Amino acid sequence: MKLTETLKLGGRMLRGTNPPAPAIEREVDLQHEEDEALVRRTQNGDSTAFDVLVGRYKERLYATVYHMTSNHEDANDLVQDTFIKAYKSLNSFRGQSSFYTWVYRIAVNRTINFIKRRKNRNSYSLDDLDSSIQNDPDLVELMSHVTPRREVGLTELHEKLNEALQKLSETHRAVVTMHDIQGMTHADIAKAMKCSEGTVRSRLFYARQQLQSLLSDYL
Amino acid sequence: MDCKKVQQLFDDLSHERLAPDVATQVRRHLADCTDCRVVEQRSARLQRLLALKRYERPTPEYFDNFLSEFHSRVLAEAQRTGWWEQVLERIDDLLAIGSVRTWRYSLAGAMGVAVVMSLMWMSVRQTDDFAGTTGHTASADPSLVMADSLLPPPRSTPATIAAPLSDFARVAPADYQPTTAGSVVLDSTPAHADSSAPRYMLDRIPVTSASYDVPNVQF
Repeated sequence: MKLTETLKLGGRMLRGTNPPAPAIEREVDLQHEEDEALVRRTQNGDSTAFDVLVGRYKERLYATVYHMTSNHEDANDLVQDTFIKAYKSLNSFRGQSSFYTWVYRIAVNRTINFIKRRKNRNSYSLDDLDSSIQNDPDLVELMSHVTPRREVGLTELHEKLNEALQKLSETHRAVVTMHDIQGMTHADIAKAMKCSEGTVRSRLFYARQQLQSLLSDYL
Repeated sequence: MDCKKVQQLFDDLSHERLAPDVATQVRRHLADCTDCRVVEQRSARLQRLLALKRYERPTPEYFDNFLSEFHSRVLAEAQRTGWWEQVLERIDDLLAIGSVRTWRYSLAGAMGVAVVMSLMWMSVRQTDDFAGTTGHTASADPSLVMADSLLPPPRSTPATIAAPLSDFARVAPADYQPTTAGSVVLDSTPAHADSSAPRYMLDRIPVTSASYDVPNVQF
């Protein structure tokens, strides 16, 4: 995208002016387009198409980055940075993987780099637990298992879980986040981290061993 | 199948991703091995515990301003177009990628070698400059020749002669640095008399009767 178009786009948002009605209609149409088509549109200078991609993936990327950092302000910044990086580099995107895999890889790399830089400076800023957790059968089973030995509240469990995750190395934390929290397959994780499935399995194995010892009171 | 191998397959077993014959072998091992059964139960509980993190979610309005913030940042990035910042960012991105982590060490090593080579080159250059300066002084600078001619003859001197620095500095070139602070020290005569070749540049200077007329020489 040309710089002038970028400036126009940013300027529109800074002035707080709303896009005209036809633009809104067009954006609604774009919602139904595939990622590849939206990428092509953006590469041809249509910045609205990229807005649709941002809207489509921001929450998924946020969840991954949040679980890796345990800090929602950092997660928000990193996801913003990820989309800016993707937007600026979109011309170099050749479609060898899906847009989501590509942008996900950018997010994971940036997050790992961020965690390395802030090493030993963990600051927690946790999202609230959704109230529907009370109905989760896994939680009910878990609490019934833990409670006889020691009284533990949900908030404490929440904090201990995040503390334990923050003690893992960046790559182990990324693998656990993607597999055990987000439910991604080994193959997808291998693509996102540009490593073999064997490496993913190995990292997962050692990360879980470490977590088992860190969370032994709750298992 | 050994315990470690079996334990690495628990994850695939629980997700039913194993080939039927391998799954049978793992189950058979679990039936016989108490240790692996305990590990398997703890591993399953850990996965349920980690899955609870999915309930950590931001409030629904958290992403309301995400797109406008993205546009503002894109604008700010577009205005910040210094080429050096782009180069730094590219280097930063390159180093952030896990697959080229080893490049960091190579880069650090190359920079270290470059620094050492620069220091060696500077050192050699300084030595050359110094040699050039002394050669020039001995052969061509008439002021130093005149200064040498003012010194007393070797035979009449005691073991050492301490000439005041002020007298020497009056005639020496501005860039000359004495090696002994405050005085010029000459060696004793007998050793000089026995050797055919002059040991110091000062020895080449013929001694005349005028050499004895130095008022400030202290014996």
